[in-house]
Amino acid sequence: MQRSPAPTTAKLSFVGLANNDRVPGKFTVRFAISGMEIAPAGQARRNAGHHHLLIDTELPALDRPIPSDFNHIHFGGGQTEAEIALTPGRHTLQLLFADHNHVPHDPPIMSDRITVEVAADPAEKPRSAAAPGGRVFFIDLKDGATIPTRAKIRFGIEGIAITPAGTMSPNGGHHHLLVDAEVPALDREIPSDFNHLHFGRGQTEVELTLPPGEHTLQLLLGDHEHVPHDPPVMSERIRVRVVDMAQAVSATPAAVGGRPRTAAPNDAVVYFIYPKDGATIFPSSTIRFGLRNMGVAPAGVAKPNTGHHHLLVDVPTPGLGEPIPSDLNHIHLGGGQTERRITLPPGKHTLQLLLADAAHVPHDPPVMSERITVTVMPGGRKSARRR
Amino acid sequence: MRISRRSFAGLLAASCVMAGPFWAADGLAQAVKRQKPPPGALVYFHYPLDGLRVPERFTVRIGLRNMGVAPAGVEHAATGHHHLLIDTDPGPPGRPIPSDYNNIHLGNGQTEVVVTLPKGPHTLQLLLGDHTHTPHDPPVMSPKITIYVR
Repeated sequence: MQRSPAPTTAKLSFVGLANNDRVPGKFTVRFAISGMEIAPAGQARRNAGHHHLLIDTELPALDRPIPSDFNHIHFGGGQTEAEIALTPGRHTLQLLFADHNHVPHDPPIMSDRITVEVAADPAEKPRSAAAPGGRVFFIDLKDGATIPTRAKIRFGIEGIAITPAGTMSPNGGHHHLLVDAEVPALDREIPSDFNHLHFGRGQTEVELTLPPGEHTLQLLLGDHEHVPHDPPVMSERIRVRVVDMAQAVSATPAAVGGRPRTAAPNDAVVYFIYPKDGATIFPSSTIRFGLRNMGVAPAGVAKPNTGHHHLLVDVPTPGLGEPIPSDLNHIHLGGGQTERRITLPPGKHTLQLLLADAAHVPHDPPVMSERITVTVMPGGRKSARRR
Repeated sequence: MRISRRSFAGLLAASCVMAGPFWAADGLAQAVKRQKPPPGALVYFHYPLDGLRVPERFTVRIGLRNMGVAPAGVEHAATGHHHLLIDTDPGPPGRPIPSDYNNIHLGNGQTEVVVTLPKGPHTLQLLLGDHTHTPHDPPVMSPKITIYVR
């Protein structure tokens, strides 16, 4: 095959990547070409061509088109960088320039072959630590239990707090229910699909519909980024037999430990109208609350789909099965207020909203906001928190 | 930017006709005892604001200062529930707020509501009602704002 000529001065190299570099499992490779130009594949131009990245392979034959497979990646659109994912271990990378027909030039324009090492364990980002003794478990559901096709599965938690996804907390996480699935890789985000159900808003139960037959269930707690803790907080994997409602003898438990929590609509959302996460605010500021798909009622008023706000200042999410404490850090808006003026000392503070029912107990699923961080600017007249 | 009240008087007239029969029909609210709002009580729009251009479907977010929200029917000091008045004026203050397309009751204590309006200018106003839907004395009411639906 006819090879296109190339100037001998042309040089091809990796940008910011040297031999024996350690790299993460997924990273961006950048290519630099000098003395030639980049043209998309198929465009015959003098002194021009497009990049090919050779991964874990020797140089191909130089007188024919470069193969196209997982080891020979073509950048026929004229790309000059690519994000690649490599398995842990050592890999070789090499760049090879080729003409409009994917045939290397004469002389071939290529980079040195370099070796990179992908860390065996992506340990650059430590997993959230879980306190020893933290555990999750199924409430009133034992290994080998028989449940109807549509069953309410309740999750118990002990020694670790429930915080919604997105909210960082020293010892908290949210539930994931693994249905008919093995434990996923513990060093990365738990997958999100029909077999890995996320309860990112801090739900502690789910109405699960399963086809009749044998199934396995397992709980796995994830941190704010859905990554399991270190050590992982997970339940036993239990086997359940699902039978059709019609012939199911009510083998499911009726009594549930603890007090019943008021139900909340699944799409209810409480959020901060002001301030937003990361905002800088005055020492004395009015915090404004938004509530979607639910209504506000004063404390003591039991009405479906209503609740009253609680503003949590500089505290982790309290236990969701009991009344929200009432103190300086747990501000009750029992009169049905939808905003509150507070005074905070300068510095960083966290704020979170949590709706609760007539008896100050959070709903199920809990209606709570992410915990936001605000910075109080210095220079206030008062620095003591009011009330 | 504020357009003159006269330019959509026709719209207002139409809505008053619609709302009229409600007031005519109710004679029972003659001697309703009106609640006193707490001092400094104020209802206001978080969104939209006066003069804003909005899409046909948008969420009205309601702020309330120095007072609380309670669902309709719940008698609780210093509370009330929101009413969103669209393209209409408040009725006589001593009467319960009518319930129709122009007077949207947020009787479950909601603090926001999604509304869909035809293109063009519209007026919005917030009015708090007590457990019997009657405005307080003096009424806790926002200024009437004009928005442009695009």
